[in-house]
Amino acid sequence: MTLPSERKLPWLFLSLLLAVVVLAAWQWRDGAPLSANLMELVPGTNPDALELRAEQRMQEPLNREMLVLVGHADRQQALTMAQQLGEQWQASGLFETVQWNLQADLPALRKQLLQGRLAMLSADDRQLLSKHPDAFIQQRVQALFDPFNGFTLVPSQDDWLGLTGRIQNSQPKHGAVQLDIGSGALVADADGKSWVMLRARTTGNAFDMNLPLQVADLLQHSREQAAKGDVQLLAASGLLYAANGQQQATREMTWVGGGATVGILLLLLLAFRRWGVLLAFVPVLVGMLFGAVACVALFGHMHVMTLVLGSSLIGVAVDYPLHYLSKSWSLKPWRSWPALRLTLPGLTLSLITSVIGYLALAWTPFPALTQIAVFSAAGLLGAYLSAVCLLPALLKNVELRPAQWPLRLAERLIHLREALLGCIRTPALLALLIAFCVGGLMQLQSKNDIRQWVGAPQHLTDEAQTIARITGFQPTSQFFLIRAANQEQLLERQAALSERLQQLVNLDKLQGYLALDQLVSAPSQQQQVRESLNRLPSVWQPLLDLGVPVAALQNELQQLQTLPAEDIDAALAGPLGEPYRTLWLGPTEDGVAAITSLQGLNNPSLLRVQALDLPGVVLVDRLGDLNKVFAATQISAAELKLASCVLIVLVLMLPFGLTGALRIVALPLLAALCSLASLGWLGQPLTLFSLFGLLLVTAISVDYAILMREQVGGAAVSLLGTLLAAVTTWLSFGLLAVSSTPAVSNFGLSVSLGLAFSFMLAPWAGRHEPVAEPAA
Amino acid sequence: MNVLFKSLGALTLLAVSSWANAFDLQQLSEQLAKPDVIHGQFTQEKHLRALPQPLISKGSFVLAKNHGLLWLLKTPLQQDYRITANGIARRDANGWQLLPNKSAGAEQNRLFLAVLQGDSSGLQRDFELALSGTAQQWQLTLTPRSMLLKQVFQQINIDGGALVQTIELLETQGDSTLLRMQDSTAEQPLSEAEQHDFAE
Repeated sequence: MTLPSERKLPWLFLSLLLAVVVLAAWQWRDGAPLSANLMELVPGTNPDALELRAEQRMQEPLNREMLVLVGHADRQQALTMAQQLGEQWQASGLFETVQWNLQADLPALRKQLLQGRLAMLSADDRQLLSKHPDAFIQQRVQALFDPFNGFTLVPSQDDWLGLTGRIQNSQPKHGAVQLDIGSGALVADADGKSWVMLRARTTGNAFDMNLPLQVADLLQHSREQAAKGDVQLLAASGLLYAANGQQQATREMTWVGGGATVGILLLLLLAFRRWGVLLAFVPVLVGMLFGAVACVALFGHMHVMTLVLGSSLIGVAVDYPLHYLSKSWSLKPWRSWPALRLTLPGLTLSLITSVIGYLALAWTPFPALTQIAVFSAAGLLGAYLSAVCLLPALLKNVELRPAQWPLRLAERLIHLREALLGCIRTPALLALLIAFCVGGLMQLQSKNDIRQWVGAPQHLTDEAQTIARITGFQPTSQFFLIRAANQEQLLERQAALSERLQQLVNLDKLQGYLALDQLVSAPSQQQQVRESLNRLPSVWQPLLDLGVPVAALQNELQQLQTLPAEDIDAALAGPLGEPYRTLWLGPTEDGVAAITSLQGLNNPSLLRVQALDLPGVVLVDRLGDLNKVFAATQISAAELKLASCVLIVLVLMLPFGLTGALRIVALPLLAALCSLASLGWLGQPLTLFSLFGLLLVTAISVDYAILMREQVGGAAVSLLGTLLAAVTTWLSFGLLAVSSTPAVSNFGLSVSLGLAFSFMLAPWAGRHEPVAEPAA
Repeated sequence: MNVLFKSLGALTLLAVSSWANAFDLQQLSEQLAKPDVIHGQFTQEKHLRALPQPLISKGSFVLAKNHGLLWLLKTPLQQDYRITANGIARRDANGWQLLPNKSAGAEQNRLFLAVLQGDSSGLQRDFELALSGTAQQWQLTLTPRSMLLKQVFQQINIDGGALVQTIELLETQGDSTLLRMQDSTAEQPLSEAEQHDFAE
């Protein structure tokens, strides 16, 4: 019964398995090589290194910083709690810095203001000084008498002209946040509460595996602690999204993986009524191992999303043993090796077609799908090898006497189908089906958005929005990148952009922006200020009338004339430069570069227009670009799908001839079309992910068509084999539909639909049916 | 012996409590919060270290309990200010213009109102308060608590009787401002024009 080669095969395979296990152990020597960085999964839209650097610069605070508002009706209580939390957090060791109050270094501030009197003067003040020097002096006299002028940091005798006061007042406002001078805390008043701002910067970033969860736990603990004192906490951070994503991925992996496993094991037990049949799960485990090892070997790590989507491999991998296990309904007595020999050609074909289908995914520009494709292809190979080499040996002494009810069910289905065909002929059915497809496709709407990748829970986005409303901070993902040959040109370009952005702000189309030219002006403009100042003696009589000694004024003017021109680096070094430091990218290969960051919801197309005729200025809108890539990829995905079909036809021509191969491939294609139409009828959008799902379905369901075409053991037995394979696959993919990540759930839904249609259409692959060519 | 000690102790307690009773912050707050509207004249002397003589300005003010403060500068230049819960406004040819909120300035104005209205709870958060004298003639000294305020103010002295009479701000840098409130009266209600100014 057992051929000599079949005695050697299990040992050969076991040695291969051992090698892979050793490799896996080596890969995991420093802990799990897992990654949770979403940006690794989306396609790189621009090869521009500078844009990438700017992007990372802007992303960094999102992934490392947490902004918390501590709110209570009584300001003092809010301050006390903020201080308490600040100390606790600092002691937690999770954070590099925790800041709840401003320890302003006034001497350093004074020094910077005095040093920057020429360079830091705002555009409006420069204009006033050059066009209306008399008004400039008049305003200064007024300010000296004004009891409500707010304190100026620099005493009057060091700055009779009041330039530092003007610089102080022209600094961009911190949204709705105010300085509580008693405590030095930043406080915003809203909703009948005082909200104290607490900022924490973590030691690592959001993509370290453990940090986000630890931070989320600490926050939860602080929330509970604060709630006891009736204090409310609001928090926003990329870390919280990452923590949520990780928890969700773990939960879903348990659900999808666990649900599929339990379901498949139950199905196996119910159908075959032997404990030994549970060994059919060995190929699944081996498949997962092979997939993980290949993934880490190729990419250095594995993304958690690959694991979630990859856990659906369970249902496909178990199909290989099912191929020959299901022959136990016709082969009596059933023996493992002879059953395998009978089904080996079909098995091999199905491996080849599935791998072709999966690898087609690898050619999309999505690193996520490349990983999944590699994981799945390697996993399928492992499952196939263990099903072919190892499992028959393990099942050698198992005699299967399967339950009869599944066979009766399959027979009934075949009768039903024949009865149906008796009423309506195949061509008529096909026409009906096509009508269904056309109707559905007309209602199908395409939708692509990066947000589908992130199952951002409502409570996190709500909280972030509340914080944005209270503080007035509304950072956006878009920003402008400005390139220039030198600092002078850079500041001029940035100033030209700022002028346009200010118009948008005035029109309420933009909430605010931050640019280097708000901190320091170009050297040529500093020179203009110097010249304007020189004209002041003719108009400064009102100051002299107050008793300001003329010598003091002349002395000050003399000082200002000799003040050296200040460059960007010098301006950024002082305490006022702090918020601007992220904007400065410094020297590049061909000059210098900087960022203008934006605040508040805005219209990207309106922003893009602003940069149109400004040389060296581009809008970087990664999300918008990504969404465009998504839409473009849809088309290439469809092309890939067709290409993979051609390849599959070529493979299948060998055993089945051209007509047979065409028919086998046409059925899954028709099934995919039906699924698309169903999405339309269900009102579900067509996304990139539904398309990828269908791409996959084509690969998997070619398998069913092959099974039905070969008809080893009769039509009913083949249908039963197909049914079992479809149900196990559906158990793993269908469960993805419950995922709270829209992308994953969309994928699950389209695969589920595709599987259902593939199963229904598979019988038409049979040889002796008088069917019209469905692809016609 | 025992009895003697006990009665001595009781006496001391009595003395301490009656001494504390003399005139406390609570009473000062109540006293200053009593009038609904105060009208008066002010003289502001700004002593700048580098100037031989102070910058002197004069004008009138209206402090209304539920509205805020009108500060009408008359000489040497004319300028009207208004502080309300909404912030600080300046009058120009087109009427009241709310000044952009300068974070530190807004906080200072809150202090200013708290001082004039005798809101000691509002002051106590940021300053150590020391009160001496009687209800008819008292002195309140404010010493900043926080490092930040200490870098700005050295001390604030307020003198008064039924109403606040002088406010002296001593800045850490050496400049100082002396505000004298004269002819203050709590008898007059808000005029129509003043009501209009607060309402606008």
